[in-house]
Amino acid sequence: MNKLDYQNLSPELFQPAPVNTHDQEKINRPSLTFWQDAWIRLRKNKGAITGLIMIIILSLMAIIAPMTSDYSYKEQDLKRAKLPPKIPVLENISWLPFDGKDANGVDVYEQRGIKEYYWFGTDDLGRDLWTRTWYGARISLYIALLAAAIDLLIGVMYGGISGFYGGRVDNVMQRIIEILVGIPNLIVVILFILIFDPGIISITIAMVITGWVTMARIVRGQILKLKNMEYVLASRTLGATNSRLIFKHLIPNVIGPIIITTMFTIPYAIFTEAFLSFIGLGIRPPEASLGSLVSEGYRSIQTFPHMMMIPAIVISLLILSFNLVADGLRDALDPKMRK
Amino acid sequence: MARYTLQRFIYMIITLFIIATATFFLMKLLPGSPLTNQEKLTPEQKQIILEKYGLNDPVPVQYVNYLKNLVQGDLGISFQYDNRPVTELIVERIGPSAQLGFQAIVFGTIVGLLLGIFAAIRHNSAGDYFATVLSVLGISIPSFVFAALLQYYIGVKLQWLPVAFWQGFEYTIMPTIALSMGVIANIARFTRTEMLEVLNSDYILTARAKGISQAGVIFKHAIRNALIPIVTILGPMAVNLMTGTLVVEQIFAVPGLGEQFVRSINLNDYTVIMGTTLFYSALLILVIFIVDILYGVIDPRIRLAGGKK
Repeated sequence: MNKLDYQNLSPELFQPAPVNTHDQEKINRPSLTFWQDAWIRLRKNKGAITGLIMIIILSLMAIIAPMTSDYSYKEQDLKRAKLPPKIPVLENISWLPFDGKDANGVDVYEQRGIKEYYWFGTDDLGRDLWTRTWYGARISLYIALLAAAIDLLIGVMYGGISGFYGGRVDNVMQRIIEILVGIPNLIVVILFILIFDPGIISITIAMVITGWVTMARIVRGQILKLKNMEYVLASRTLGATNSRLIFKHLIPNVIGPIIITTMFTIPYAIFTEAFLSFIGLGIRPPEASLGSLVSEGYRSIQTFPHMMMIPAIVISLLILSFNLVADGLRDALDPKMRK
Repeated sequence: MARYTLQRFIYMIITLFIIATATFFLMKLLPGSPLTNQEKLTPEQKQIILEKYGLNDPVPVQYVNYLKNLVQGDLGISFQYDNRPVTELIVERIGPSAQLGFQAIVFGTIVGLLLGIFAAIRHNSAGDYFATVLSVLGISIPSFVFAALLQYYIGVKLQWLPVAFWQGFEYTIMPTIALSMGVIANIARFTRTEMLEVLNSDYILTARAKGISQAGVIFKHAIRNALIPIVTILGPMAVNLMTGTLVVEQIFAVPGLGEQFVRSINLNDYTVIMGTTLFYSALLILVIFIVDILYGVIDPRIRLAGGKK
């Protein structure tokens, strides 16, 4: 543009803008609820979305894969033991380890005259690893759901009651927690597994006893902080009952930390189960858990690496995706904590 | 402060007592008996053995005896390891575990700190993302998977380091790395977060305005404050290390306490399980106690909050 010719500007250009008192207060952007806002922030986090998609895929596989498979997780057949993985179509891609050849490049399927495809191969006893791996993933996901449920039911309730009622109730409840916190989780889990036989039930009971303490502490802290705020006082003055205070005012404000804590408990719980199964205290054969599959595969890692690698990858992916989503949710739900 | 310490100390003792009691009664509920594996014994011989170990007494009497011995540091006699005292078994095995734990903490802390500081200084750069990805992976990959992979690739395939056993320093390298992975990941994550917060504070701006070099700002001003809260993760880290030694010692055939613990669980060796459980609990509770006190000493705000109670 050329230089403006100030002399020739007409005065009409400098009219005051009309003031519309009605539009002044108008909100132009759509108003967002807490959850919409959080979802927008979560969506921007690539790691969290990747994690979310991976969790969905892994869950679907865990639900569907064992059902569609022709082999049950405990069906043994020594004739087809220790087969390497072989997957149709992918078998033609030479750099993928799905061509049914063992470490020496021998096509075991051809050698033994086996027509079927075992997608993840088979173990020492000829059990189909595809079915067993996804069956193990089911156990991990069950543990994840269980840990979340314990946190939400026992942890939130305990912390909420302790924080809300305060006084002597709080004092007694806190002393109990103080002692429980001192006892290492793993010790309790191991002791319980020793009394009941190793298996899914003992892990469940042990987790019910130990799993909720962190959550209870966090909820109590939040409730203590919130219940002394003016808005709660105002509501109380207006005659709100305790249950109204709890459900309408306190819980909605604590929900962020509750979700974050739950999400961080889940990967830890999955790891604990896998760890216990690995050292032989958790799920035992013929049942399959990702931890026990890694442990079984580890014994023949030199000759048949696939037996350990596949469950190891699945368990790592599972824990990784829950960690990513937890990180993302923390950033999305609690912007103050965002770095 | 003295009151706070005393209060913490009393809790520590109560917790220990409860663990000791719970362990004792849970062990009484256990299926199987220490004599399960010795089927050749005649009933008379079994009676003599039960009598000798006081297993015929009523449970309350056994309990009192157990507590009495416990106070004197006597954890009983192993049923499987040639009748040797449990305390002796623990003392004998603690060396390798302690060495592994110590090496893992030192190595892990140094690497973790460097990684965390590096990530914070290069915030939002490729280096930061690399460090973040590394620490997320470090937290997500289970220790037993990492240890097994390390052993397979470095030990078996590349043959750089001995695969297993415990015969000198080079045998400790792989278990140490496997064990320190969690430490590295946790410390790196924590340091990064804290450093970012500190680097954005006003006093750092002042320091920079006075013309102090980048290194001076980081090492003289930022790190000191960023490291205070790191004390809080020492407790969980000790637990992590303990879980870690159970599997890492198993995988690398280290003659440590964790390896013995897992074995005695499979052998139903009550007294060793009980003794080791108590030992681990006492160790962890002691760490938590020290961390609590240390935190009070370092951060005066905690002390004030404790005093108000």
